[in-house]
Amino acid sequence: MGKMKTTRLGYSSRSDKMFDICNIIMMICLMIVTLYPFINMIAVSFNDANDAIRGGIYIWPRVWTLENYRYIFGEASIYHSTAISALRTIIGTVISVLCTAMLAYTIGRQDYVLRKFVTMFFVFTMYFSGGLIPVYLLIRNLDLINSFWVYIIPGVIGVFNMIVIRSFIEGLPEGILESARIDGAGEFTTFVRIVLPLTIPALATVSLFVAVAQWNSWFDVFLYNSSNLKLSTLQYELMKILQTSTTSSTQSAGDVYAQSGNITIVTPTSIRATMTIIASVPILVVYPFLQKFIVQGMTVGGVKG
Amino acid sequence: MFGKKVLALGLVAIIMAAVALSGCSNNNKENTSSSPVESTDATNDPVTFNYFSFGAPKKAILASETDIGKELQQQTNVDWRMEYLVGDGDTKVGVMIASGDYPDIIDSSGQMAKLMDAGAFIELDDLIEQYGPNIKRVYGPYLDKFRQKDGKIYFFPYTANIGYLSEPNFQTGFYIQRSVLEEFNYPEITTLDEYFDIIKQYKDRYPQVDGKDTIGFATLAGEPSSFFTLQNPAMHLAGYPNDGSVMVDMETHEAKLVAGSDYQKQWIKKLSEVNAQGLFDPESFTMNRDQYLAKLTSGRVLGYFSYSWQVGEATDNLKKAGIDEKRYVAMPIVFDKSIKDQYIDPPGFVNNYGVGISVKAKDPVRIIKYFDNLLKEENQILVQWGIKDKTYSVDENGRFYYQNDEQRRYHEEVELSHSFGFAYFNYSWPRYGNNSVLADGNAYGPGNQPEVATFGYTDGDKKLLEAYGVKTFSELYSNPDERPWSPAWSISLEQGSPEQIFITRSDDLQKKYLPKMILESPNTFESTWNEYFGKLNSLDNKQTYEDIITQAVKDRVAGEW
Amino acid sequence: MEKHTVTVISSETATSDHQIKLPLFWKRIFQQRVLVFMSIPFVLWAFVFKYVPLWGWTMAFQNYKPARSFSEQEWVGWKYFKFLFQDETFYRVLRNTIVMSSIKLVLGFVTAISLAILLNELKNILFKRIVQTVSYLPHFISWVVASSIVLTVLSPDGIVNLLLMNLHIIDQPVLWLAKGEYFWGILGLTEVWKDVGWNTIIYLAAITTIDPSQYEAAEIDGANRFQRIRHITLPGLKPVFIILLIMSMGNILESGFEPQYLLGNGMNVDYSENLDIFVLKYGMAMGNYSLGTAAGMFKTVVSFIFLFSANFIAKKMGESRLF
Repeated sequence: MGKMKTTRLGYSSRSDKMFDICNIIMMICLMIVTLYPFINMIAVSFNDANDAIRGGIYIWPRVWTLENYRYIFGEASIYHSTAISALRTIIGTVISVLCTAMLAYTIGRQDYVLRKFVTMFFVFTMYFSGGLIPVYLLIRNLDLINSFWVYIIPGVIGVFNMIVIRSFIEGLPEGILESARIDGAGEFTTFVRIVLPLTIPALATVSLFVAVAQWNSWFDVFLYNSSNLKLSTLQYELMKILQTSTTSSTQSAGDVYAQSGNITIVTPTSIRATMTIIASVPILVVYPFLQKFIVQGMTVGGVKG
Repeated sequence: MFGKKVLALGLVAIIMAAVALSGCSNNNKENTSSSPVESTDATNDPVTFNYFSFGAPKKAILASETDIGKELQQQTNVDWRMEYLVGDGDTKVGVMIASGDYPDIIDSSGQMAKLMDAGAFIELDDLIEQYGPNIKRVYGPYLDKFRQKDGKIYFFPYTANIGYLSEPNFQTGFYIQRSVLEEFNYPEITTLDEYFDIIKQYKDRYPQVDGKDTIGFATLAGEPSSFFTLQNPAMHLAGYPNDGSVMVDMETHEAKLVAGSDYQKQWIKKLSEVNAQGLFDPESFTMNRDQYLAKLTSGRVLGYFSYSWQVGEATDNLKKAGIDEKRYVAMPIVFDKSIKDQYIDPPGFVNNYGVGISVKAKDPVRIIKYFDNLLKEENQILVQWGIKDKTYSVDENGRFYYQNDEQRRYHEEVELSHSFGFAYFNYSWPRYGNNSVLADGNAYGPGNQPEVATFGYTDGDKKLLEAYGVKTFSELYSNPDERPWSPAWSISLEQGSPEQIFITRSDDLQKKYLPKMILESPNTFESTWNEYFGKLNSLDNKQTYEDIITQAVKDRVAGEW
Repeated sequence: MEKHTVTVISSETATSDHQIKLPLFWKRIFQQRVLVFMSIPFVLWAFVFKYVPLWGWTMAFQNYKPARSFSEQEWVGWKYFKFLFQDETFYRVLRNTIVMSSIKLVLGFVTAISLAILLNELKNILFKRIVQTVSYLPHFISWVVASSIVLTVLSPDGIVNLLLMNLHIIDQPVLWLAKGEYFWGILGLTEVWKDVGWNTIIYLAAITTIDPSQYEAAEIDGANRFQRIRHITLPGLKPVFIILLIMSMGNILESGFEPQYLLGNGMNVDYSENLDIFVLKYGMAMGNYSLGTAAGMFKTVVSFIFLFSANFIAKKMGESRLF
């Protein structure tokens, strides 16, 4: 690395330096803008709930408190739902990435007879949907309601991810798959021993996509498992709290009148912020871990190629 | 080789985990559906039913985890798995109906039309006849108001008042900062002109608050779902209560749209003039609720229009801050002095919200008995007032009151009211209407009990009330007139019908034009109004809509609900 | 299947036969049985989970009521399509949808690729990683929270107005969200802010596939920074970019729902209301599932037209294509 650095500096160093400085300044600006919402959420989450209604909290709490975190960690449902979220994220990601990669390998093989058929069969599914009710009835007929597997099975193949992996496979140095087969390796062995290691950056990227989608998903919990607290996820528990503060789209004056006899409970912004922090921190940790593979994965493969 | 082994091991591990999990989820399923199906009148075995509510979201809970639920369980041996809507109600009701997977009982909230359409509820007439002495006592006088077209009863609404007592601390309408009133020595403000005059005078004297410009008047019309905050003042100013999209004539019972009416024109025109004077906050049309509340608690806003429940947190926040002159009071403002204000809702009956027993209920008899038991006066006291000496006290005259702040907190603080069970039991169940009076003369709801209403008054409250010569905030308002059709907004339109499409289109038109007219120069007001009025009139089915509501109002007056 | 084109790469099928005879086809299926076993189970999965629910499209021609069984539904023909196409607001809503998704597409691609390249040019690995990680944070903020931040930033005494006033670009605070013509721009920038870091990840992964020796060779040849970006990095990203672009073309009528709903108001409704909001208001909110289905079918037709056109153009231009 150090060697490359010196050679790079050697050429047209002045414009290079200007470029680097501009680049660093731009990156710092970008970081300020993208870090702000998080800093803001953290500040609000450590601020007194009643005081937070007044707004105007930017990067530092006005009235310090740990009460918001104490309140949320005091909810018994948080712990179990976090475990379910973690479980669905891990299981869902591993299964989906392996299956998707396997399928991507078959359609990445230029000589596969069913290549075009399979590709189109899957690509089309990205652009239509039978609608909510037919899908619900299907899931119900398959007896997946109130089951953990409804988080995994309907998402086994991500078509977008499949295409991403395929384009990486197609980008592999020519002949690498052929030589493996000439060596007598079977299709499955080629897939496991050649394709998987060589597409690590793509697999890491896709894993991130799937893991984040799994972790953040709450709509399937809402539709299929909402009456089963044992299968509730962290994001769904978060939704329960968030929902109380966002009025539904169809609320008319009438709805509101009928509820006005109730105590109207609206979640303070500070609780909302606390939930956001609690729900996103675990998944944020995943990226720096995968980053290593996304950035460095191919250097190994490149040497092999 | 090594990689392959790891992979294989991983797969095995996953599959094992999968099998284990599916096993456990299956067990869950069996547990939840193991309620006794064959239970008959005679049995009183412990049982747990499912309750689903489309109303305000709350944490799902087992009823017996709350004090009230526990007490009711001891009486009946019935417990409830209570679940609340999280997410979109239209979606939820759609899949619920399509699959037919109903819970035992459903609180409809705004989804009644769809549920009735789907035949989700069983008819209750025979059950009430056989098992419901208390149901008959409470709902008897109202049965005709919620019989469906086929003459049957399918659900219990929440507004069956026994007697009538209005709320002492009623606040809704044109709020004004107390410092403004104090500055001008508590003047009598009745008309819209007077209201804005005094705001203007105050703003001229104090153009800035804490280094920021004073805001004359704001409202919450930025969120699509809160737009009615700009639509409804027109009818209140004209002396009508909240009847939704229409005003109903007291004599002819003719329903007329608020949209496009002279009253709406007068109201919007006034705002346009006020805006030209720099008194109106244009952010009213872009803010969301959080920003609105932040503004109201900043002390910069002199006046605003809202319903009290829209601004609850801001009101509480200011009260807790303890600076009385920054707090607000709502006034019953009208267009001119000859108009009698009608902000307080008249005794009415909302017949399109309710709780019913679904066609999938495992034991309707047991449920109707639970309902009947719930409607006993002592249990109605339990769900509203709680347990004597714990959540309320009784004085030597038999009056209910809060003896200390601890008792008040049970009713008003979110966490305590959930754990005690008020939040779960005081509304969406068969119940007395909010304005009911108990047999011993106490108010049904603590909020309506004068002793409770005055319990929390600050010195500033007392000073203000004294200045206006009243004892409670409600006395600032006129008493509501009798309107036998009230409220007109509970007249249900057929789902997806031309009338319903009309009202959505008319709302769209208003969302676009009303802010425009207000923010533009008053000189162009007439031409923009004419454009808006023309478009409104050219919408299909305007007349149909008015006719349908008028007919329904007339039917209701004639006793046919 | 008969028109199946065979690429020359494969050693077994060096024949450039365009018309494969049926026996040959089955023979090759047999030869490639392992590949078939690796893909057909998923085809069955897709059939069950994606294609079977398509029976729901019949709803578009019915006055669908969820409580009725299929045979009891009332058939209404093209009624809901007519409702859509005869509504004057529909065309405005359609325009907004297409413009917003086009802005999102163009801005999304340009910013993500630019950021990927700039990150690639950073020399300090630690700094690079920090920038990357920080830039993707807003993706994890819900739209409810993000829209609140946008509203605050754009409010009359928000930072944008303060800044512009201090720079004397404007002398009165501007109510940005009350001006419809600004809405598309605001939305576009908001989406970039929220998702640029996230969208970049895939290009970063693509950059890793570029052989480092190419850069070294270029340097020895005396290529400068920009030449290296132009001749090595960009071509290296092209295959992935083209594929993603083709896929996005198919989503031309998907402009999102939440940001428009949360940032939209009466003042900007002529620009902010999109197809999904329209369908929600006149469909779901009225218990009308048929309208949403009809709109969905319309979207699918448009998607397919765009998808096939984009794929065809890519093919003509000799670029990588989707299928």
